[in-house]
Amino acid sequence: MAKKRKEIQEVANQISKRMFLVGSLQIGFGLILIGRLYQLQILDSDSYLKLSDKNQFDHRLVIAPRGRLLDSKNRLLAGNSEVFELVVIPARTMNLELLLIEIDNIVGLSKKEIEDILVIAKNQPDFIEISIKSDLTQRELSHLAIRSALLEGVLFQKNYNRIYPQGKLLSHVTGYVSGITAREVEKDRKLQRLVGLKTGKSGLEKTLDDSLRGIAGKERIEVNSRGKPVRFISDSVPKQGRDHKLTIDMDIQSYAVNRLKLGNSEQVEMAQSSVQEAINNNDELKAHINIGETMILKDANSRYVPPEAGAVVLMDIHTGAVISMVSSPAYDPNLFAGRISNRAWHNINKHPRVPLLNRVIAGLYSPGSTFKMVVYAAALEAGVISTDASYNCKGFFEFGDRDFYCWQEKGHGVVNGRQAIAQSCDVYFYQIALKTGIERIHNMAKRMGLGEITNVGIPDEKVGIMPNREWKKNTRGTVWTPGETVIAGIGQGFVLTTPIQLSVMTARLANGKKAVKATLLSEATKNPDDFPPLDISSSVLREIQRSMRSVISSGRGTARKYELNGYGLAGKTGTVQVKRISKAEREEGIIDNIDRRWKDRDHALFVGYAPYDKPKYAISVIVEHGGSGSSMAAPIARDILQFALERHVT
Amino acid sequence: MNWTSRLLLIPWLMIISMFILVIIGTMALYSASDGVWTMSVKQHLIRSAIGFLIAFFIAFLPINWLFRTSFLVWFAFVCVLMLLPFIGVGAGATRWINLGVMNFQPSEPTKIAVILLLARYLSLRTFDQIDKIAIYIPAIFIIGIPSALVLRQPDLGTGLMILVGGLAVIFVSGLPKKYVFLGLGTVGASIPIIWGQLYDYQKARLLTFLNPEKDILGAGWQITQSKIALGSGGLFGKGFLQGSQSQLDYLPEKQTDFVFTLIGEEFGFVGSITIILIYFLIILSITSIGLKSKNRFTRLVSSGLGMIVFLYVFINIAMVTGVLPVVGAPLPLLSYGGTAMLTVFVILGICINLSINRDKEDLEIS
Repeated sequence: MAKKRKEIQEVANQISKRMFLVGSLQIGFGLILIGRLYQLQILDSDSYLKLSDKNQFDHRLVIAPRGRLLDSKNRLLAGNSEVFELVVIPARTMNLELLLIEIDNIVGLSKKEIEDILVIAKNQPDFIEISIKSDLTQRELSHLAIRSALLEGVLFQKNYNRIYPQGKLLSHVTGYVSGITAREVEKDRKLQRLVGLKTGKSGLEKTLDDSLRGIAGKERIEVNSRGKPVRFISDSVPKQGRDHKLTIDMDIQSYAVNRLKLGNSEQVEMAQSSVQEAINNNDELKAHINIGETMILKDANSRYVPPEAGAVVLMDIHTGAVISMVSSPAYDPNLFAGRISNRAWHNINKHPRVPLLNRVIAGLYSPGSTFKMVVYAAALEAGVISTDASYNCKGFFEFGDRDFYCWQEKGHGVVNGRQAIAQSCDVYFYQIALKTGIERIHNMAKRMGLGEITNVGIPDEKVGIMPNREWKKNTRGTVWTPGETVIAGIGQGFVLTTPIQLSVMTARLANGKKAVKATLLSEATKNPDDFPPLDISSSVLREIQRSMRSVISSGRGTARKYELNGYGLAGKTGTVQVKRISKAEREEGIIDNIDRRWKDRDHALFVGYAPYDKPKYAISVIVEHGGSGSSMAAPIARDILQFALERHVT
Repeated sequence: MNWTSRLLLIPWLMIISMFILVIIGTMALYSASDGVWTMSVKQHLIRSAIGFLIAFFIAFLPINWLFRTSFLVWFAFVCVLMLLPFIGVGAGATRWINLGVMNFQPSEPTKIAVILLLARYLSLRTFDQIDKIAIYIPAIFIIGIPSALVLRQPDLGTGLMILVGGLAVIFVSGLPKKYVFLGLGTVGASIPIIWGQLYDYQKARLLTFLNPEKDILGAGWQITQSKIALGSGGLFGKGFLQGSQSQLDYLPEKQTDFVFTLIGEEFGFVGSITIILIYFLIILSITSIGLKSKNRFTRLVSSGLGMIVFLYVFINIAMVTGVLPVVGAPLPLLSYGGTAMLTVFVILGICINLSINRDKEDLEIS
């Protein structure tokens, strides 16, 4: 019995020992768990917190409303309208294609749109949103909202559409915005995160893009494991882009646009059946209707024609403020704000008169006779002639083995400088150009702002060509010939300028003291005294100004019919040959402009300023294939100046 | 023995700990139901109340009865497990019997039946017999038959729990050291054989466990999200009802197997440790009943039951923290789900019973 008791005790001790052992093992394993939790919840907590945050939130940038563009009287030129946008996050969808078909049933998408979205989805990480439709109507919005539970991975987003209340009137100044392009993303990867961002693609929208864009806000969207947004948390509110005030005066702009387009023709009622018939039979007219043109003209030969093409720049000669900048034909920038249809894009891009081209800064034209002031000033400054110097114009100038013709076949007879300007005698300028030499002419032109970028504020400005010996050697590799100086003397040959350069030249001639620069932005407008000096002797400038005045005031002036009553106009006409006139044609008699094909007609130019005694505005007008500077461009310039001056009685 | 001294023998620490866990579990379920007082939250409370009633019913059964019926109970469960493929329900694995009010998982209480029968068998061995290998053969059958049946369901978690719980009882009963080492060696050698016996999904789980990040959206998703939830909880947690992982449904099975993760996310390291400590208080209570008891049956049962509770806690928490593969094991009292909780209440009942009767020496004689 004692033995048994001892045995029982021994077994009991053994069991106790083993229980302790098991207990220790359990505690040991328990400590492993605690250690593991310590590692997860204390040591690695930060990184898990980040992962949890990433799970919980979609960090998103919220596009800031774009800054506005206003005219000089604070009228809206470019603004924003709020729209709802439908976006999809491919990562959160089971089958993107089926989803798009589903959405198509609700809001209607084209086959092309669906394909485009699928292509985009394939080419970017699947967690990046893709815009499906950028301006949902209230109706579409409510239809989608009802079904949103079934549409996995689809979100609504508030966005802004750019609107241009002035439409085509100012498209070349404002430019337009559209969705980010692949090239922009390449330059700045961050743009990819700004879904639906639109960037300026031309005009001031492009120049001022950084400032207009504002600062994107930051937002967190709490999403559950199925990609459904639960809550929106705003971390920073988007900061609207800066507003910019332009020097443009919309009243004058609007007048100038219509005046240029009208030319010397008569506007007809579009609804007339004869007009409609003409539109149907005339591709040129049709092309204009297709870009939203509402003006059809009847020319002197009673043909229905589209509005005139060309450019107008009106600027303040003291401040350089550009009051009006017209390039015709124009396009409607509003078309680009949404997703522009292929058809609309085709109509604009393939239009025979290139509406996308801003002729004011990128249209290159021979200045023709408007260049004569430069030549005259260069000659006077160099002292190669005096103001009394006279030449006999017989209608042509023999130089070397070539005849250089004056536009006046009969010749002008004996003319001095001022008369030569007034009557636009070519022979006079052939001769003084030769005397002056291309280098001096080149230098004077540069000082007037020709062949120089104006940096008026529109991107992709062209510099034109202001030739000299060095230029020819560098670009053609050949030596300058005197014959080239002769032809440059009347602003033809190599010389190419833009309308804005011509207006700057005119402003400087009218100003007389300062080398004024053109600008489109109110905030960039300088105090008139802050421009660098023009540095041309006042006696020379006085002579040029008097000559320009005599273009209008003298009995034989080329623009004598277009006096600006009450103010006094000074200016210069220009008629630029587009097609070379052969000797045979010259002998047969030159065909009148109006009887030629539009493309073969001369460009009509006029530069001028007013009032003559107390100059305020300078203007340059170019009517492409408009015929003659005196009959076409001069009245347009006169009317626009008059309109502007009458509005600004101060 | 008078009433008051009997009352003192009741393992109050264990009862209070369980009560606290039930309350925490209810809160966790409330949080998992997005802060709504849903059916399942109420059911959890009701089931716990029933559980306590069952525990007290078992507590006052004659201890001899537990001892004597143990074979019958074991045999009954083995029969049920064998019939399960024909009468059971369950998608993929047939683990449950539909009892109308609840789905009953017979493998859960089988754990207790195995412990009871094993304890009865081993406590009857004489001092001389303990060293003889032959006496352990029936013990192997007592464990082996039900665990094999459960493993074939397939239910890796529960099967292993029966196996490990039973082996713990054999070990505690005094298995000579040489056999312990022999046994460990055998287990080591049989791993490749067990691997071959595993189902593909079980293999996949094990492989996923070894490298969860490789398959973030597939099988590794659960464990990855669970770790993110726990880790992001930090020291003090995100606050009650504030766990973003749980509230936004990134956490799978947050009401059942991953309830610990939810608590860890909302109450942080402090919360997780508290839960573990409470469970260890329960395990300690159970073990101490055995240590204080004078009879072998009680001591063996208590170490077996302690091991069962430990295994529940360890397997579940190791699983949700990524220490063990996802095997699908609940955390009783916290997890929503009937049978495991019921099992723990039965364990409580037995423990109270054993505790009250811990001074009875000669159980085998009576």
